[in-house]
Amino acid sequence: MNSNTNQSSTEITTALGTEGLGQQPWWVEQWMELINSYRFKKRLERAWTYAREGNVTSIRFEGRRVHARVQGTGEDPYKVKLWLDVLNDEDWGYVLEALTQKARWSAQLLAGIMPADIERAFAASGRRLFPFKLQEVRSECSCPDKANPCKHISAIYFLMGDRFSEDPFVLFQLRGRTRSKLLADLAEQRLHALALLAQTTTEETGSTDDESNNQNNWASPPHPAVLDPSLWWRYDASLNADLVVITPAMEGDTGLDSAGELPLAEEPRFPKAGHLFLSHLREQGQLLAQQAMMQAMTAGD
Amino acid sequence: MSLLHATWLPAIRTPTSSGRPALLVWADTWRVANPAGPSATPAVHPFTLSTENLRAWLSERDLLPNGIIDATACLTLPSRRVKARSNPKAIKVQNESNTEIGSWTGLPLQAGEPIPKNTEWWPWQVQGLAIEPGEATSWLSTLPLSDQNSDLGEELRWWSHLQRWALSIIARGRWLPQVELSKGEGYPHRARWVPLLNREDDRRRLEDFAARLPLVATCALPWREPMGRRSNRTTRLRPEAMREANPIASCRPRSGRIRVASLLEELVDAQLRKGFQTNTEGLDPLLATWQQALGTETGVINLPNEEAERLAAASHHWREGVAGNVAAARACLELFTPNEGEELWELRFSLQAEADPALKLPAAKAWGSGANFLQLGEIRVDHPGEVLLEGMGRALTVFPPIERGLDNATPESMQLTPAEAFVLVRTAASQLRDVGVGVELPSSLSGGLASRLGLAIKAELSQKSRGFTLGENLDWSWELMIGGIRLTLKELERLAGKRSPLVHHKGAWIELRPNDLKNAERFCSANPDMSLDDALRLTATEGDTMMRLPVHKFEAGPRLQGVLEQYHQQKAPDPLPAPDGFNGQLRPYQERGLGWLAFLHRFDQGACLADDMGLGKTIQLLAFLQHLKAEKELKRPVLLVAPTSVLTNWKREALSFTPDLNVREHYGPRRPSTPNDLKKELKTIDLLLTSYGLMQRDSELLETIDWQGIVIDEAQAIKNPSAKQSQAARDISKPSKTSRFRIALTGTPVENRVSELWALMDFLNPRVLGEEDFFRQRYRMPIERYGDMSSLRDLKARVSPFILRRLKTDKAIISDLPEKVELSEWVGLSKEQQGLYSKIVDETLDAIAQAPLGQRHGKVLGLLTRLKQICNHPALALKETTVEKNFITRSAKLQRLEEILEEVIEAGDRALLFTQFAEWGHLLQTYLQQRWKFEVPFLHGGTRKTERQAMVDRFQEDPRGPQIFLLSLKAGGVGLNLTRASHVFHVDRWWNPAVENQATDRAYRIGQDKRVMVHKFITSGSVEEKIDRMIIEKSRLAEDIIGSGEDWLGGLGVNQLRELVALEDK
Repeated sequence: MNSNTNQSSTEITTALGTEGLGQQPWWVEQWMELINSYRFKKRLERAWTYAREGNVTSIRFEGRRVHARVQGTGEDPYKVKLWLDVLNDEDWGYVLEALTQKARWSAQLLAGIMPADIERAFAASGRRLFPFKLQEVRSECSCPDKANPCKHISAIYFLMGDRFSEDPFVLFQLRGRTRSKLLADLAEQRLHALALLAQTTTEETGSTDDESNNQNNWASPPHPAVLDPSLWWRYDASLNADLVVITPAMEGDTGLDSAGELPLAEEPRFPKAGHLFLSHLREQGQLLAQQAMMQAMTAGD
Repeated sequence: MSLLHATWLPAIRTPTSSGRPALLVWADTWRVANPAGPSATPAVHPFTLSTENLRAWLSERDLLPNGIIDATACLTLPSRRVKARSNPKAIKVQNESNTEIGSWTGLPLQAGEPIPKNTEWWPWQVQGLAIEPGEATSWLSTLPLSDQNSDLGEELRWWSHLQRWALSIIARGRWLPQVELSKGEGYPHRARWVPLLNREDDRRRLEDFAARLPLVATCALPWREPMGRRSNRTTRLRPEAMREANPIASCRPRSGRIRVASLLEELVDAQLRKGFQTNTEGLDPLLATWQQALGTETGVINLPNEEAERLAAASHHWREGVAGNVAAARACLELFTPNEGEELWELRFSLQAEADPALKLPAAKAWGSGANFLQLGEIRVDHPGEVLLEGMGRALTVFPPIERGLDNATPESMQLTPAEAFVLVRTAASQLRDVGVGVELPSSLSGGLASRLGLAIKAELSQKSRGFTLGENLDWSWELMIGGIRLTLKELERLAGKRSPLVHHKGAWIELRPNDLKNAERFCSANPDMSLDDALRLTATEGDTMMRLPVHKFEAGPRLQGVLEQYHQQKAPDPLPAPDGFNGQLRPYQERGLGWLAFLHRFDQGACLADDMGLGKTIQLLAFLQHLKAEKELKRPVLLVAPTSVLTNWKREALSFTPDLNVREHYGPRRPSTPNDLKKELKTIDLLLTSYGLMQRDSELLETIDWQGIVIDEAQAIKNPSAKQSQAARDISKPSKTSRFRIALTGTPVENRVSELWALMDFLNPRVLGEEDFFRQRYRMPIERYGDMSSLRDLKARVSPFILRRLKTDKAIISDLPEKVELSEWVGLSKEQQGLYSKIVDETLDAIAQAPLGQRHGKVLGLLTRLKQICNHPALALKETTVEKNFITRSAKLQRLEEILEEVIEAGDRALLFTQFAEWGHLLQTYLQQRWKFEVPFLHGGTRKTERQAMVDRFQEDPRGPQIFLLSLKAGGVGLNLTRASHVFHVDRWWNPAVENQATDRAYRIGQDKRVMVHKFITSGSVEEKIDRMIIEKSRLAEDIIGSGEDWLGGLGVNQLRELVALEDK
């Protein structure tokens, strides 16, 4: 993810980016707004320096907590913990029910995209996915500073927004549902929705019961080689016609082109790192592609 | 002979690294082995080549890879249970291990070995050479891509194809770097280069590679100590410890999609890693470490766990936007046309099997399975709902209208506006396929050629035409066609006027392209003619065009249809019965062959009769000439060119089957040397026989004659296009003023030898394959170097009308053939043989006449033996013991024998060669081994008993055993079972059918499942011929022969003897 300047932000965030303007994911924008609404500008400024100069040595999402280490003035880095209010099971019940109502939400999440209107699913429970106010972000720091958020915590704040985009499921995890649990729950909900639909249309739902019965008895069919052991050695196919001539990628058609920016939050001290990383890969990729084509051309000689 | 194999080892331990993957190459070879069974460790594979021998074997073939270490792996192989021979040692082991497993003994099967009824899978310790991945990819790149080398196991070709795919992935840049938790211990995170398999063609390819995976490529079991040489500790481990570390297990064959994907990943990763140059300038520590690890051998990421995990998560997330994981199924969108009178198109969501796109289940089934898995036919799909949703999520980024369809909990379908449907058909469908989402369009819109503007053609021969000349015009009509729908130019104009790209016509939706109307108008105004030639071309291969419009449909009238079918050999030409004056019977398939020759002759097309040896090509050709003669169509002489060694055979066969044909040889010093002499001689001649050598030497002379036709026998003689005799044959085949038919005869599978096809077709029908340069570029290179199937199919479609090849094993032939076919191979004598023969006869007859009666008997038999030896080879008669350079040219019989054996070997058949002379056997063995560079065993009186059994076992059982087996008539003529042979050669004759038949029955007996060809060599004009004739005519003398072996000959009077042995002049 690029660290991009947001024109509407304060002086501090203006210092963030050197890469020019770009579209930021909405949640990053929302997060930055949240931080900028904080009153103690001075502390924020120092926190930003910490963030930019690499004083934050690690950020780790572990269960419902964010664990981080920030090198302060002391010898050992301070330990920072952040967490959000967890939704209780009842709330999650509402959220899941609402989340199920639009298959698109699940579809986008699974394809690595945070849906722009995700909060509507949470609105059903009266709760939110993203923290609405900084006060909702609970935190602890091992530093002697009594103020909360201290500058160490604030430094984490600055880096968190980008980290959310490394994995859209991180926020759900902070709110109390891991990816696998969430997906399992959603599958269950869909089953439920389907059953309801069937009741109203008095239609057959497609034999769910049969299938779950099958599941126990079902053994994988024997591999053809069991019936015909000569398959152990046999390969009588000719080279696939498309592999006869090895061709290069069309302009802008490599895997790197389609994957786009690397969703890795940038280290403020190395503002061009992501860009450099990708462009070097691209260059090398072209060289290696040429080598591969040469090798393919001389094959069988 | 040994066969090379290659198996992937997921992890080997070497002194320098732990848990690195490698490619294990190993070879097995046939030998007599004691059955073995696993005890504490898997049994040692009894057939593997030692690593020392393997290195030598590889170097000999220039295949020795770099970066290899000796290794032992544990492979699961199909095995056959064989009871252990009572060996006290084996019993002891059983008692020690004292388990059920310990009592199993058997042998691993080898490729090509017949499969026993009950195959079991057991682990075997296999010795070989492990190649590290980077070197393995280079090595695989050097292997042949098409099927040429019988020394390499077929799975090596699979590997070389997989490597080619890896190269294609790299060339197209279809990869992303990733960080992954590795399975190896110690360093949990590694940087990897991962291929992206989201594109439709790559996904299809994965299914293809997985479906065809030869399991030996991945049959290695995880084993604690598949060690390098220096850590060779297996033998030092106590059995109990070893057993604990490696419980006897074998991997059962499983489906290979994920396995193949991971092998591809290994190949791609190894190559990119090897070539990658790092440049960490300006990178933060995280990215710098990642980049560096991408270029190191192990890819280990030296970062704290949490950092590495963060990289892993981000890189996975990065990849998810482009490609899903390798799964058994994917999301699929099916488009349906609107119902009558409606506007909206329906788009249904479903789950589609990767392995078989026809296997689909509606989305409701996926939602209905909850968190369980789903069965798509036999394919198991885990988390079907998520697979479907994930695909839809990616589809959304490519085709935004989908969003509307995902507005409820369990969406099954949605509706599209006509504009959206058009976008889907035109552009989004292929983009969706590129992100791994299946798209199914209505058939009239499904893209490809059929949905484009093309022609539907109806054609028929004109009233008076007989369909015999290719240039003649046909009566024909045509209509425009798009997506299977016919339309007139008017209708097309009207539809184009709607200015909508998707239009509804005659109940179907079709797609109009911008230039369609213009192209249609152009065709209409040109209104071209169609010739029979065009019709043949358009019906030969799919997708041929006429004035740039593809021909979607070609309907031929009944008469034209008849011609086309015969031409394309969909229907065999009508058989022709043996013509008047043909002295003999034709088998049904020979009547079909005759009909086919006559059919192509009517079209003035050259024909290549390529029937398997022994099916009677000579007879069919003679019957064809007799057919012309009987029809009074044979007005000018025909020239037949054949190797010198078979000229005699032609003369003999013509004499007995077609006595009406006047045949003459153009051969020897007394042959006509001026055009006038030749013309004079040819006045009454129908068929002139000559050799390839003389055709070339006398080409100027021969070209002065107005031949009616040219026949070349053993047409492989002209396979080399630049050789002088090929050039001469092609020159002489070109018609002068009058047409000249061309027929080629060969027993080799010409259609499979791309390099030889051009010269053959240039002789037969020069226009078919064009110029040699074009041929090389268009067909030869792609097919021979890369095994390109589509070029091969196209080539075959082009040449197949002119080649007729039937095999002994064809169902239609088998019923026509007796189980044992006896063939007389007539051969002549070389100049040296002739001289020697006459000299011996002259000298010895005098000596016999003067000898006292008591010695005469022995002298006569001695003479006969000498003469038979001379017929075999002068070297035998002269008691030479070495094989000199000109060995082959000194004996006409040997030349012929070699030619026939070449066909046998080419066809992959096996042959027994019987001779009564041990010395001849030794000479022949030496010669044949030099000639083919493989071992030819020779079983004779001096062979030890154990050796004898080993030879027989090997011939019968070794999958890659010898193809030729030499036996002396006395030692090998009885008792042995050699049913693997389907050819028996009696190189010299014993003149006792009972003895010969007994020898023949080594192959022709219970257990033989093929037709057996028995070749009996007869030297024409010599004593061999005369005695053969006597036997056939069942003379009284012959009765005596059969009773008494060769003894009776000793009692002949001098005059009788002289008649018998004198060399008959032609």
